Amino acid sequence: MTSLYRKWGRVVRYENGTTIRVEEAGEASDVEGVFEARPMLWEKGAQTRVSVPHHSVPQTGVPPPQTSGDLQQVESFVAQTLLSVHSCIVERLIVSAGISTHETNGVTWTEESLRVHLSLVKGRLRVLVDLASFDLDTIRSAAVALTRTGDPREAPPRVRLAQNVTAALLPALVGEIAIEQRGGGFDGRGLPIETRAVTADDPPNWYRPSYSIRPRRAWLNLRPLPFGSIDESMPQAVALLAPVIGTNLHVLCIDGDDVFPTELRAEHVAAVSGGEPAWYPYAAGSFGAEMML
Amino acid sequence: MTRESGARSRVSEIRPAAYGLNLPTSFAIVSRDESWQRGTMVESRLMHGHGRQRGNEIEAVDTCDERLANVCDAAADAARALVDTLPDAQVRMRVRAMREDDAESVETTITLRMHDVSIVTTPGDAHRDYELLRGLAGSKPSAKLAPLPIVWRNGSAAVLLHEAIGHAREHGAAEISWPAWLTVEAPLALRRETFRDVPLPRMTHLIARQSGAPFAPPRERIDIQLVAGGGYDPVTDVVTIEIAVSSVGAFTMQRTRSEIAASLAGAVGEPIRYPGVICSREGQQLYVASHAPVMLMDALP
Repeated sequence: MTSLYRKWGRVVRYENGTTIRVEEAGEASDVEGVFEARPMLWEKGAQTRVSVPHHSVPQTGVPPPQTSGDLQQVESFVAQTLLSVHSCIVERLIVSAGISTHETNGVTWTEESLRVHLSLVKGRLRVLVDLASFDLDTIRSAAVALTRTGDPREAPPRVRLAQNVTAALLPALVGEIAIEQRGGGFDGRGLPIETRAVTADDPPNWYRPSYSIRPRRAWLNLRPLPFGSIDESMPQAVALLAPVIGTNLHVLCIDGDDVFPTELRAEHVAAVSGGEPAWYPYAAGSFGAEMML
Repeated sequence: MTRESGARSRVSEIRPAAYGLNLPTSFAIVSRDESWQRGTMVESRLMHGHGRQRGNEIEAVDTCDERLANVCDAAADAARALVDTLPDAQVRMRVRAMREDDAESVETTITLRMHDVSIVTTPGDAHRDYELLRGLAGSKPSAKLAPLPIVWRNGSAAVLLHEAIGHAREHGAAEISWPAWLTVEAPLALRRETFRDVPLPRMTHLIARQSGAPFAPPRERIDIQLVAGGGYDPVTDVVTIEIAVSSVGAFTMQRTRSEIAASLAGAVGEPIRYPGVICSREGQQLYVASHAPVMLMDALP
């Protein structure tokens, strides 16, 4: 692989009380087994006469992506978040809004991204929230559940997993349930991401989270295929208390008026909801859909 | 945390104990990061940029400071020449030339990896640590893991104390009682890995010393030689240490700070330089020079 990859990016990030605005551009190549990455001049480039469906790309030169308005957007979300979780200790809050333009293999495309990482603490429990949208409802739910939590309990025999929980679990379920790579956009080598069944074969696409990281083959944007039926009366795991390890989950669970921490082993998935899934920034992208164990 | 870069530390918390620490208004960096396998370079990264702080805001751009670039390139040339003399290891060299306000510094670290065990060293100690790694990596355990006293060799107790004392201080954890014979120097400064990062209170180095705590190694014991990584959780006050090379092989230890403090039973000799701690906090990886004497820990249940 010898193709040059270029990226221009701007991001506004709030990190635990500090706001940082980053502007950078870089390029990478992989020639005869040697991966090289380096910054480049912002104006350098670029391909012309390239257009990508669903994205706005000027016809001459690669656009310096703009972030006007992102600072206010981030600050506003941070303020709302802190207000929503005031009953807990905010151990970590990182919120970012960014835009980047990529160019490789004759293709140019632009992506916008929102990211939230929140860690809330109550006593000796820590709730982890990772989002790709400024979704206050999920944050409020996690904070309320953490505030109301009681003593740990044994895992219920049947339990539903909320979208944000299944998204973190999904990469560990490859080979256990039917999962597809949902199509759309381009991968780290400029190849189109097509909808494909996830199999044990080498993934057709490449994951490149940064210009300075060597791309690797990966299934992107995993989506569980629906089956069975969800019993809405079952307790629901609504938040992660620790990163998922294999198929082991430490979660906050709601059963009626009770909230309790519990450990789950996701060894048998009984049903996957057919509702519209939401995308989460786990692994190389993961769509969360309600599941039942 | 992995073994790829020597002993690594993963921590999670914000609550920085930053008050009273000097916060530079300007930070510039040029770094080169190269990986070598069997004498061939396989990855090369150049990074440069400048962060300017105004109150609680940082403007960060990837401009290149030519003076720092020259300093970085000169140090990288020297490091490459050194890498050529370490043929049996996978090698990663990282050179960071930095300026914080008016203070310039350059730091070269070299990560050596053999048989899935790695250490982090500096140019002055690279050959000695290379030989140490050659002798230890791939060595077979001589016994099975059992609740025996533990002797921390090669300065490895510095990793334990890095987590249990250094990171706890970074997070403003409550003080606990440590043995009177133990003193630990672990000053904090606001440090960052790149121009894109928020500076955090981090250890600059750790030196543990003992006074009047002699011990005779128990006949039945575990000898720890190299550590793969560690972590301190400020919510649970639990320290995790992953042992890479010991007389019982690789294993993981998890104890509260109080349990660790109560189990330290003695130490002998001067502080020994541990070959490397790459400390990762909030995703920022920084080198922390670490030294500790040979230390004895009571058997843990």
